[in-house]
Amino acid sequence: MVKYVIQRLIAAFFTFLAIIVVVFFVLHLMPGNIIDHSNKLDPAIRTLIEDKYHLNEPMIVQFGYAMRDYLRFDLGYSVKVNPGQPVFNIIASRLAVTVQLNYFSALVILPIGLLLGITMAIKKDSLYDNVASSLVILTISVPSFVLAALMQYLLGFKLGWFPLLLAPEEHLNWTKFYSMIMPILALSFGGIASIARTLRAELAEVLTMDFMQLAKAKGLSYGQTITRHALRNSCVPLASTFLYLFLGVLGSSLVIEQIFGVPGMSKIMLAAINGKDHWLTMGCIIFYTLIGLLMAILADLSYGIVDPRIRMGGGKDA
Amino acid sequence: MREKNIMMENGQPLSEELLKIPAEQFEMIERAEEIVDADFRTESVSYGKDVLRRFLHDKVTVVAAVIVSLIVLMGIAGPYMSGRSYLAQDRTRTNMPPRIPVIEKLGILDGTQVMTIRKSSLEEYQPYIKKNYGEFESQSAFGKGVMYKVKVDMYSLNGIPDQYYWFGSDSLGRDIFSRLWQGTRVSLILAVAVVVVNLTVGLIVGAICGYYGGWIDLIIQRLMDIIWNIPSLPLTILLIMLFGSGILPLVLAFCLTGWMGNANSVRMQFYRYKGREYVLASRTMGASDLRLMFRHILPNAVGTLITGCALSVPSVVFQEAGLAYLGLGVQAPNPSIGILLSDGQKVLLDYPSQLVFPGIVIVLLMLAFNLLGNGLRDAFNPSLRQ
Repeated sequence: MVKYVIQRLIAAFFTFLAIIVVVFFVLHLMPGNIIDHSNKLDPAIRTLIEDKYHLNEPMIVQFGYAMRDYLRFDLGYSVKVNPGQPVFNIIASRLAVTVQLNYFSALVILPIGLLLGITMAIKKDSLYDNVASSLVILTISVPSFVLAALMQYLLGFKLGWFPLLLAPEEHLNWTKFYSMIMPILALSFGGIASIARTLRAELAEVLTMDFMQLAKAKGLSYGQTITRHALRNSCVPLASTFLYLFLGVLGSSLVIEQIFGVPGMSKIMLAAINGKDHWLTMGCIIFYTLIGLLMAILADLSYGIVDPRIRMGGGKDA
Repeated sequence: MREKNIMMENGQPLSEELLKIPAEQFEMIERAEEIVDADFRTESVSYGKDVLRRFLHDKVTVVAAVIVSLIVLMGIAGPYMSGRSYLAQDRTRTNMPPRIPVIEKLGILDGTQVMTIRKSSLEEYQPYIKKNYGEFESQSAFGKGVMYKVKVDMYSLNGIPDQYYWFGSDSLGRDIFSRLWQGTRVSLILAVAVVVVNLTVGLIVGAICGYYGGWIDLIIQRLMDIIWNIPSLPLTILLIMLFGSGILPLVLAFCLTGWMGNANSVRMQFYRYKGREYVLASRTMGASDLRLMFRHILPNAVGTLITGCALSVPSVVFQEAGLAYLGLGVQAPNPSIGILLSDGQKVLLDYPSQLVFPGIVIVLLMLAFNLLGNGLRDAFNPSLRQ
């Protein structure tokens, strides 16, 4: 187990390194320049800026400087989007609202998704199951951004129940939470549908297995057989979904943030890309890459924790 | 054991007297005697026929298939149907509300729009007003004023009472009907291109891995692990930054990790079937590797592959639309459904119809392809039916 984790971490490190190298050279070899090359800029100032950011040195030397900074956990400074601000601070400040959104939507998704999936599996092929299944397929087919836009128009504009955009409050208070309801809902529907669908399929299969009969024969009540035996066996494919939900900053929230004007990661990343703010772009991509790699490892490990029968890395004693 | 109705060959239930023949009336048939049993009068059912029968049996899937073909048809013919080019701008007719010939008589989609006008301009609008919702007091920066909420026929107002923009026009006066179907075409072309590339690459890599196994398999699997672990969002954004936003970079971005699902399922099928007796028999008779791979082993994976293709079309359309919202979709004058949605989002509060029509099409498209995919999976592999 430990050996497997170390193996995975080493592999992840090399993947990370490869991505950083590729991203760095792609960014710096792209047409266009960080500095405005019009004649308005005083040549002296330009030289000054170029010296500061080592822009007049060969690419490989620039790369060396960048790597040295990264080794010291220094992501550099933003040059265009928030000039002079350390990239790390910018990301940290923008991350909060993105994470809040995702946590709240996870809190909506999990109970409803689980409840829906379990009840659908138990009442398989009933009217309830058929209606719920149709709704689930419909929800999966409605892109979250279309749903968000419709909610924004109907609930926000026509009925005036919710504010159209996220409240600009600094800290999380009632006004801000109230304005977060629509984005949270928009983020939640897809998750609810996919959890319900996966759980229903898995649980329905487990319910037909022999050990369920045995559990019943032992004298367990129906509820006990479901919670003690059926649910545990259908949790494996859900494990990674749960993880992604609770660590989730990736996914469709970028688009939802764009629609509801959330000053989160999406805004900063797009601004960085469009403004050729290389340090900030690098910071965002490093952040997303790290999250993605960690998530992949954690998801793999979670399988082994949820179901000890799944062996790690094919080892005999793991 | 459930009671089964025993049927005769012509479908009639067996009569009581035939069911209760006393034992002594039975007699043994000798081999030399003529056998008077009826011949089997069934035709052989091939795998393809079986799949088709199961496919047609599921009504939801058939409806989904019809909707898919309708959308594809509209993607081909739609841009030419209204007689207006999807690129032609008309600055005098921007943001026209939708108006459809027959349906307009029902009071919806009749080219009207609810406006708020001042009392002084009521005269000017009078001939075009379809319905007056009454007056109300309004407090603005210019002081108090009496405003009227009225439904105005925008087509007569613009002096084109005999014209029809079926789905309205956008903020540059372009016909949304033409743009929508052109966008559908672009989105579908993108999706099909992605599916074809993913299928080809996945098929070849999966076949090589699964058939030869050994160290080739090992190396390719490790490489796939690395690519698989690259987070797709930054990767997509980077590719689009590198090559500019267009169909080709998008295809590339979607294909970079997309082929792996196909490769894995092909590889698994190859591992499962390459040791079977029938493959060995064919090899003994001198069949080449290629023949073994594609004639004998691959057909086992066809069902999974077709299903996967049908299900990846909506996911590509969805992802492209998401990127379009972020401003990273296909290039500007060429619309995709995602571009139309994000254009509609900009004017959502004033002209919601500009988002609703692309929204309906993308939902229909995704729903139809998802249902079609599920139906195909059930048809190809009934044991997986949920």
